[in-house]
Amino acid sequence: MKKNNGKLYTIVTLIVLAILVYYAEKNLDAYNLRILNLGAIYVTLGVSLNLIFGFTGQFSLGHAGFMAIGAYVTTLLVLPPWYKEMIFIIEPLIWPFTIMHTPFIIALILSGIFAAIAALLIGLPVLRLKGDYLGIATLGFAEIIRIIANNIPQITNGALGIKGIPEFTNLWWTVGAAVITIYIIKGLINSSYGRALMAIRENEIAAEVIGVNLTYHKVMSFVISAFFAGVAGGLFACLLTTIDPKAFMFIMTFNILIVVVLGGIGSITGTVIAAFLFNISLEYLRPIEAGFNIGPIVIPAIPGLRMVTFATLLLIVILYKQNGLMGGVEFSWNGVSRFFQRIFSNKESSEGGAK
Amino acid sequence: MELLNVDNITMQFGGLTAVSNFKLKIVPGELIGLIGPNGAGKTTVFNIITGIYTPTTNKIFFQDQDITGIKPDKIAKLGIARTFQNIRLLDNLSVMDNVMIGFHLHLKSNLASAIFGLPGYVREEESIYHKSIELLEKVDLDEFKNEKAGSLPYGQQRKLEIVRALATGPKLLLLDEPAAGMNPQETKELMNFIQKIQEDFNLTILLIEHDMKVVMGICKRILVLDYGVTIAEGNPFEIQNNPEVIKAYLGVDVKNYA
Repeated sequence: MKKNNGKLYTIVTLIVLAILVYYAEKNLDAYNLRILNLGAIYVTLGVSLNLIFGFTGQFSLGHAGFMAIGAYVTTLLVLPPWYKEMIFIIEPLIWPFTIMHTPFIIALILSGIFAAIAALLIGLPVLRLKGDYLGIATLGFAEIIRIIANNIPQITNGALGIKGIPEFTNLWWTVGAAVITIYIIKGLINSSYGRALMAIRENEIAAEVIGVNLTYHKVMSFVISAFFAGVAGGLFACLLTTIDPKAFMFIMTFNILIVVVLGGIGSITGTVIAAFLFNISLEYLRPIEAGFNIGPIVIPAIPGLRMVTFATLLLIVILYKQNGLMGGVEFSWNGVSRFFQRIFSNKESSEGGAK
Repeated sequence: MELLNVDNITMQFGGLTAVSNFKLKIVPGELIGLIGPNGAGKTTVFNIITGIYTPTTNKIFFQDQDITGIKPDKIAKLGIARTFQNIRLLDNLSVMDNVMIGFHLHLKSNLASAIFGLPGYVREEESIYHKSIELLEKVDLDEFKNEKAGSLPYGQQRKLEIVRALATGPKLLLLDEPAAGMNPQETKELMNFIQKIQEDFNLTILLIEHDMKVVMGICKRILVLDYGVTIAEGNPFEIQNNPEVIKAYLGVDVKNYA
């Protein structure tokens, strides 16, 4: 009974979400839409990183690399052949890419698949490492991808990057991808396979002795995580309409990591909140850089001040909420109903006390 | 036919020989004790049997199958389960999850049906849930099923770890110091508990224990290790009166110094 109610609420929420997206697409200006789009892409990225880092406990810093793979695959697939012939000026594009041209949705799925294949290839050897060592190895992988992208102009147009990518990405795509990502990763985590992943996080030796195949589960988690990072990379390329290797520096990974840590490691709800908070606050802190007055004190325009402010805010959150905003707590309809029941029962008791 | 046949294995870590020429044959239904002073290599034997270490020389057979060098999760699947000296529970997961994970190796549903909650998977998960509840009820832990495993009292954590091992459906159960840190009353309960699960689950048990009351009380056969060497083997009475064992535990005969 209760479960069915939850399903109903979820469907209603999705409809409300669709109406909101429709409204936003119609009424918001390009600037605000860009922020919301980035927020939704960061949800996809953050939730996928949370799967491997928060739930499986494997410290992976390779997300920028998987994004880059996704971004380049999508770009090469959605650009029309005549346009590709025109922009590859350093060296002409090599064969299969010159004639390939697919719809956006297929390009996105293939982006995810290519990122997943890359994850499978590097995951098998690299996931034997633990903790910081794994972090360094995956960070290295992401940098290798970036440097390769810089040095194969016949596919990526090198450091010049690719411009004029059609702007296919809109809120329907980004929010849709985020919803699908959350649905699949939440389904995985709540299943017995998710339990095995969390067992690996909690105690690797215990998990192995109970019969959890470490390699299989770690690589599975890593590959699924990379798939969604690849899809997000494709959405990212078609949102910015221009990509070059510099867009996928390690700072990109750390932005995603900030979202995950800020929201709470191992909390999908937290990641969703933090993804939007991160993008919105970064943009709305911009006026600080223009200079302002606090009473008689004049603060001059200092470029970069918003990052300092942001870092300070981040530090405050981490100091006072070590487990992130949600602290591993997950949103659920039962939780909401319990919350309201608590409010109502408090009210009744306080009313009773007043008499 | 033996259930387990450890055939004269030696385990070296660099220049250190942790276990040398260790032999052990266990027939189904036995309850064997493995004792010895600290650092004698008892836990190393457990780690070798469960596949965490691969012995330097010779082989181990489980039900006549060579299991040397096989990964721990495969060995668990064959039917060897264990507990740890320093409890290794999944602290941040619920007591229920800690037991349910034990059934993971028997899971038949594939990844996709688990993610999308297809009927076959849901049925399997429900049956695992009921089996876990049954197990927890047997040890009176069912009232804690939604608590975090790490928040349980020490004695309950030990019990939970044994239950988790039972959930994997083992034929051979290895218990690493189950009575460590327990008071006499708890120890007594534990002895009954071990004998009870052996009967109920038709188990063969190999037990490491420092509490001599436990070992002498429930084991029919005892092996004594010292510096990786098996110095004695026999029934509790023989072991208690073995001069080698007394020497290993209490030092050299006092008369030599007199």
